[in-house]
Order: sequence, then C-alpha cells, then structure tokens
Amino acid sequence: MRPATTRLALAASALLAATAGHCANWELDLDLRAVTSDAGRSVLDGGYSPTRFSEHQSGLQLGRLRLALDMPVGELWKLHLDASAWGNAYENPVGLTEAYLQFRPYPRDSFRLRMKAGAFYAPVSLENGAGGWASPYTLSYSAIDSWLAEELRTVGLETKVDWLGTRVGLPFDVGAVAGVYGWNELAGAALANGGFIVDDRQTPLFDSVGKLKSPAGRRIEPFLQIDGRAGYYVGMDLQFPGRLMITALRYDNRADPSASDAVAHVLAWHTSFNSAGVRAEYGAGWTVIAQWLAGQTEIAPGSSVLEWPFNARYALLSKRFGRQMVSVRYDRFEVASRNAELDGQQSGHAWTAAYVFDPGKSWTVTVEWLRVTSSSYSWGEFLDSSDPVTDTQAQLSVRYTLGSTSY
Amino acid sequence: MRLSARSSHAPARTSTAAIAAAVLLCALLRAASAAAASIAITLQLPDGTPLADAAVTVQPVGKKLPAPAPVHAVMDQMNRMFMPEVIVIPVGSTVSFPNSDSVSHQIYSFSPAKRFQLPLYRGKPYPPLLFDQTGVVILGCNIHDWMIGYIDVIDAPFYGVTDSRGSWSTELPNGRYEIKVWHPRMREESPALVRELTVDATDRAALILRLTKPLRLQPMEGQSGDTY
Repeated sequence: MRPATTRLALAASALLAATAGHCANWELDLDLRAVTSDAGRSVLDGGYSPTRFSEHQSGLQLGRLRLALDMPVGELWKLHLDASAWGNAYENPVGLTEAYLQFRPYPRDSFRLRMKAGAFYAPVSLENGAGGWASPYTLSYSAIDSWLAEELRTVGLETKVDWLGTRVGLPFDVGAVAGVYGWNELAGAALANGGFIVDDRQTPLFDSVGKLKSPAGRRIEPFLQIDGRAGYYVGMDLQFPGRLMITALRYDNRADPSASDAVAHVLAWHTSFNSAGVRAEYGAGWTVIAQWLAGQTEIAPGSSVLEWPFNARYALLSKRFGRQMVSVRYDRFEVASRNAELDGQQSGHAWTAAYVFDPGKSWTVTVEWLRVTSSSYSWGEFLDSSDPVTDTQAQLSVRYTLGSTSY
Repeated sequence: MRLSARSSHAPARTSTAAIAAAVLLCALLRAASAAAASIAITLQLPDGTPLADAAVTVQPVGKKLPAPAPVHAVMDQMNRMFMPEVIVIPVGSTVSFPNSDSVSHQIYSFSPAKRFQLPLYRGKPYPPLLFDQTGVVILGCNIHDWMIGYIDVIDAPFYGVTDSRGSWSTELPNGRYEIKVWHPRMREESPALVRELTVDATDRAALILRLTKPLRLQPMEGQSGDTY
C-alpha cells in the first residue's frame, strides 16, 4: 500500500474508531463538481491565477471529501476533528483542517466562557459558518476567507468570554476573545507571492501550498515555527443572536522577520492585520455581510526589509426562498509592495453569484459563477504584461452528506 | 352593568405610552349575572396581527387571593428551539424538559428564580423540576447558543397565555383587577403592559391591547454555537 493511501486509511480509521462506543456526532460529505474555467494554473498550485480551477481542470472534479467528528469528553469538554481531501492538491491526500479540544462550562451570572486548545480558525470569518468552515452562501469563499483558508490557522489556545444580555432580558450579547498561537510564521508568504485568491481550498495543517519565489519554486509551508515567539489576536463582538453581529479583531503573529529556518531555508514572515465586519439577517430570509481587513506582511533578509501592505473587503447579499438561496458577493483586494522591484503588487476585484438548492436532508446542489479581474506585477513578469487579467469559472456542485447526531 | 378600565398607578407597573391608541375597550354585551364576568383579552402587534404566547396575569387590587394550584407543564425542545417559547406556571409547579430533537441539548438557567443545569441529554432522562419562586426564568442551551426559552412563574390567581389569535379569556368575580401582559420580545418602554379593570355587574367584556412597537426578532440558528 502506498504511504499516502496508508495515511488516508489510518486517518479515516482513527476518526471512525474514535466514534465507536462513544456518543459522538460524525459527518461525511462528498462534494463533486462539474467545472468550466478559462483561468491559468491556480496560485494554489504554483501558478498565477486567482481561482481554484484552471482551464485544464475543466470537467468533473472532487470539490471536497470531508469527515468530521464531534465527541463529548466528559460533560463540559468536546473534541472536534475535521479531515478533508481536495483531490491531488496537497502532499497528503487527506489532512486535518481543524483539530481541537473545547471547554464549555455552563454560563454563570450572565457570563459564558469558551476555551479551545489545538488547531482551528481565528474568529475572523463572518460567512464561513457551515460545517467544515464552509460558506453556506457560495462555493468559493471571499478573498479574505480564501486567504485565511490558504495560510492562517491558530495552533494554540483561545479564550472567549461572552456577557449574555439575552439571558437577563436584553436583546444582545457582548463578547471578547483572545488567542495565543505558534506554528504560523509563514502566514503572509502566499499573499506576497501570489496575492489574494477566491477559492474554497483549505490548506491542511502542516501541509504546503503555492510556491515561493525565493527559494525559487519551493512550496509554502505556512505552519512553521521559526523564532519561538508566540502570536496573538484579540477581538470583540456585539451580537443580537441570529440577527446582527458586529466584530472587530486585531491579529499579529509577532514573527521576527529577520529569523530564518536553517533547515527549510525560509524566513519568518511577520504578518499583522485589523479586521472588522457586520452580518445582518432579517426575518424574510435576507442576509447582508460586509467585512474589511487590512494589514501588512514583511520579511527582513540580510539588512533589507521587504514589506507588503494589503487590504481586502467584500459585501455579500443573500436571499433564502425556502429550500433555495441566491447570493451575490463583490470582493475588492490589493497588495502593495514597498520593495524596489514592486514584486508581488496586486490589485483586483471579483464578482461571485451562487444559487443553492437544498432538496432534502442529504443533498445540496449549488451553481456558482465567479469572475475575478486582477492585475499583478508577478504575472507581468511571466505574461509580459501587467494589465489586469480576467478569469471566469463556473461550477455545478452536488454534495451528499451522511451523518450521525447522537449527542 | 358597568365595566371600566384605566392605567394603573402602581409605580413599578405603570405603562402609559406603551399602548397605541391606548386601550380599546369594547363593552358588554349582555345583562349580567351579578357575581362574575367573563373577560377576553386580545393582544395585537402594531399592524393588527395577533400576538400569541404572551403571558397574561390578573391580580385583584387591594386584596390577596391564594395562588392557583400548581400544575405540571412541558417545555419541549424541537428543531433546536424551545417549544413553546413561553410558558406561564403558578409558583410551586413542575416543568418537564423533554428533548424531541435528534441532537443533544444541555439546558441551563442562571435566573435568580431558578438556577439549574441539565447535563447533555436526549429524550426524557430527567424528572420534572420544581419552580418554587416567582419571576421569569430564562432558559438557554449550552450547545446551541441561540436557543432561548422563558418560564414566567407567577402567583396571580388568574393567568394564561394568548393563543394563536392573540386571545385569552377567563371568568372574574366582581371586583377591581390589575391585568399584566408580558412577552419576552416586547419592546415597549415598560417590561410589561399593566392595566386596571373594574368588573361590576357585567358578564362579558373584551379588551384589545395593541403594541406600539413590533417585537424583537426571535433569535435563530446562526453562526454562534455548534452547527450540529
């Protein structure tokens, strides 16, 4: 048996074995896609296009195969494991996107505490609330969330405290969150090397994605710890539960940009950003999301400092009609470059339109159209032009979900 | 036959601007049997649609009647929501919390009138709980953060919940009463609408109360809490 196949079998067996004999929830999703695209090779695969699929990948594709497990550990702890396969996109055919232990004591005196330890997403996304950190609105995530999926993950601890106004007769809750983490010191490398993208692949933990320009052609391993310094994030949110959510978050991986890994021959990328957003939902099935994120990533090879400020924002409008949902999203994104060669500079926007039909508990059918227009100095290097390039991708997704909800 | 209604002057219960067009009091239809009257209270939203699941309590003014007999009530959990959203029970009553969902719930309350926790469960593993203090008990689920339910524990001798037509009715002996109407998502300036009513030699009356503001929207499944 090939090592990769063995790892896949072991991962699946471990997840299933963990559910046996316990009151655990598990979910298995198979998402198949019919794709047509006029894009070049994706940034995710070492190319220069900001979409997931290229023209050569038009046809039938695996969207995602996912197995997730939620298992209570005692009364107040929960173990969550989320494993996915994305086709032959990564070194390992299947990998964990999240794995954490959560502590959730009963709320007391209007306060609710939640703690997580392990690997998980920082609470930045306002759209990816479905299982497996997927978006219920579109197949492709916003540029902000695509970037988070590509190279950000908290490998550490998070504590969230909510003051539950809704439990004392007020209409809102207020929350504060803080996280401390390591093993994310190449976060930012993909932005500087390939720019923002609009896709739905999530780099598995401790796997690699895209490619670096230096060392040339080397795949980016976002989940490395180089200088021993912990990163942090702090955030606040105001929630009118299920109706309105306003969030703000400060993120800084505190990497030393001059530190390098002698074995991997890569530098630590110091990446920090601020993010704010609002999500509003109305009784008639309307959802509006708007989010903004801006920050900077830098490295300091030798005596020089190379900086790439970046920002991205989007607005999404969605309307649910019973079992059907229509969504439209507009993304804008820029990566600047303060380097003499302007390497990695990017400016672009994207339109995404999706129709989701949920005919029954197990099936979901989604049609999505995506058009990304983006200029990039990096592309100009290879395409002999820095003019904006427009890529169009259409997908039909059929997803089948099996699950057990035993606790 | 005579029936009148006016705003209460009780400081804590006064709600003057809360009701649009104030109280529409329709009068009475038939000649009386002298000792008691039937009253029907209808609660409406600003657009005239009925408001169901509102708690109505009626307390005599100036005298204390014994609390009604305790009951056994059921607060179910269906589709990851409390069903019904609101129940009203006399103090000393018991409530069962069956879970009719396929997923487990973990129910709690930290309201002063009743603090409790029901560890992860499905079906009906726990005996009913006793509610022996008056007040509003707000329920939550420690797994599904959007779930909120309300138990109004009362000692008023007459009580009920408005039905799907927004109505509740009862028989009242002649006398003067304070009528309180409460719904957890009302946005009126006072926590409850309070009116006084005199029942005197009349056998039937209808009281229509219309809110000035729409209800707050009911929390629904969103991003907070587990997705399954």
